[in-house]
Amino acid sequence: MPRIVVENLRKEFGQQKGEQRVVAIEELSFTIEESEIVSIVGQTGCGKSTFLRILLGVDSPTSGRVLVDGIEPYKEFDKLKGKIAAVFQEDRLLPWRTALDNAKLGLEILGIPKEEQRERAARWLDRLGLAGFHNAYPSELSGGMRQRVALARALAIEPAIILFDEAFGHLDEVTAARLRSDFLNLSKQQRYTTVMITHNLDEAIESTNRILVFGRPAKLLADINLSYVDKSDLAEVYRLRRLIQSVIESNRPLESVGAQTF
Amino acid sequence: MERAREIEVLKLYRVFRGRKEYAISLLALAVAWEIASYIFPPYAVPSWSIILKTLISLDFTHAYITVIRVLLALAAAFAVGFLLAVIMYLSRRIERYILPLVNLVMAVPAICWVLFAILWFKEPEFRIFFVLVAVCGPGFLIDILDGMKNIPRHLREMLVSFRPSKNQLVRKLILPAIVPSILTTWKINLGLAVRVVTVAELVGTISGIGYALNFALGNLSLAEIFAWSLVLVTILLSLQGVVYMLEARLLKWR
Repeated sequence: MPRIVVENLRKEFGQQKGEQRVVAIEELSFTIEESEIVSIVGQTGCGKSTFLRILLGVDSPTSGRVLVDGIEPYKEFDKLKGKIAAVFQEDRLLPWRTALDNAKLGLEILGIPKEEQRERAARWLDRLGLAGFHNAYPSELSGGMRQRVALARALAIEPAIILFDEAFGHLDEVTAARLRSDFLNLSKQQRYTTVMITHNLDEAIESTNRILVFGRPAKLLADINLSYVDKSDLAEVYRLRRLIQSVIESNRPLESVGAQTF
Repeated sequence: MERAREIEVLKLYRVFRGRKEYAISLLALAVAWEIASYIFPPYAVPSWSIILKTLISLDFTHAYITVIRVLLALAAAFAVGFLLAVIMYLSRRIERYILPLVNLVMAVPAICWVLFAILWFKEPEFRIFFVLVAVCGPGFLIDILDGMKNIPRHLREMLVSFRPSKNQLVRKLILPAIVPSILTTWKINLGLAVRVVTVAELVGTISGIGYALNFALGNLSLAEIFAWSLVLVTILLSLQGVVYMLEARLLKWR
C-alpha cells in the first residue's frame, strides 16, 4: 500500500461570498511509496506549498482527498501525531527557547519522558554538527545553524514522513549542499518517506529519486523516475534539467513538450 | 567551541551595557538640583540636606499603603484585562462588541474617573480601586490582545504541525510569545497607576501619599512635597526595576 495517496485533489481559495475565486490546485493524482524521496518542482505560486499544507493537515482540499497511511490528515488530524514532520523555508524556531529546547519541542508535545526528550534532542543536534550549541538561543546562531536546529526538531520525533518546503532555499549553496547531504545520509539509514518542495532543479535531481513537476495552477505535468538516470553523467543531467525547465516554462505535460524539444 | 565562547562574552557585555550611563545621568541631575538650591530660595528649590532631613521625618506608612493600593488594583486590572483579551482573541464576534466599549473607557480622562468614583461610591478604598482599574485595565487588555494577535502565523503553523493539544498550544506558544507585551504593559501601567493613585488619594482618604501631599500643601511645606515626590519616584523606579529584572530573566533570549 502506498504511503501517500493523492486522488483528484483540488484546492480553491476565496470561496466566501464576494471574494474572488483563485484555483491553487487544479487536479492532482499520484502516489508515493514508503521510503521514497520525492521532489516537487514548479513555478513560484503554483500551489506546491498549498499541497504540502494539505499533506501536513493544516489546510483541507476543496475536493478530492489525500491519504497518509490511509488517513486523511486534515480530517483525522491527531491520528498522524508523531508520524509526520515538516521543515520549512524559514527555520521557525521559537526565539525564547534554546537550540536544545527547540529540538525538544515535538517530543514534549508527544509526551515523551523528560530524560528521553533531552537525550534524543541532544543526539540529533550533535549528529547535525551542533555539539556545543545546545544552550544557544536562535538569535545567537547563523542561518545554517538555525536550519540545522529546525531539522533536528523534525527528526527528533522520528517521523515516518518528512516534508521539506524549500527548506534549504535561503541558505548559501555550500551550507545547503552540506545540509542536504547530511539529511540524505540520514534518510538512507532511517528510511524516511520524504517529500521535498524546491525551486532548485539541481537540488531536486541531486537529492531525490523521483521528480513531480507541477503546472500552474497545480496539476501534474511530469512524473520523472530518476532511478534510470546516471547522475554522474553531466550531459544526461544537463539534458534532464533542460527538459524539466521546458515543461515548467511551457506549463504543458511532458509528452507534448518532449515532442517539441527533443 | 570558539563561537560558544564569543556568545558567553556577548552575554556578559549585555549585562553591564547602559548601567554607567544611567548612573551618570541621575548624578548630573542631582548636582544640577543642588546648584539650583544655592541660586533659588529654599521654598522654591530646597537643598538636598533639607529634603533629606524632611525625608527622614516622613511617616512611611502612607507610602506602604499607596504601594499596596497600586499593586492590588494593578493585579485586578491585569486579571480582568487578561481574561477579556483571551475571550476577545478566541471570538472575533465578542471582540467586535467589546472593543468600542474599551476604546470609550480609554478615552475618558483619569480625573473624570476620580469624579465619577466620588459620585458613585461611598467607600474611599473602593473609589481608589475603581479609578485605578478603570484607568489601567484597558491598557492591559489592548496590549495583551495585540501580543496574542502578533504571534507570527508561521510559528503557529509550525507548532500545530506537531499536533499539540489546546493546552500545549497555549503553554508552549501563546503564553511565552506574549511575555514581552505583558512586561511592557506592566511598566507603562505602573507609571500610570502611581501618578493616578496620588490624585485619587487627594479625595476623601486619610492615608496614602496623595493624602500626605495634600496635608503638606496645607502646611505650605514645599520640602515635604519634594520629599514625598522623591518617595513616589523611588517607589515607581523600584517597582519598574522589579519588572526590568523579570524582563532580564524572562527575555534573556532577546
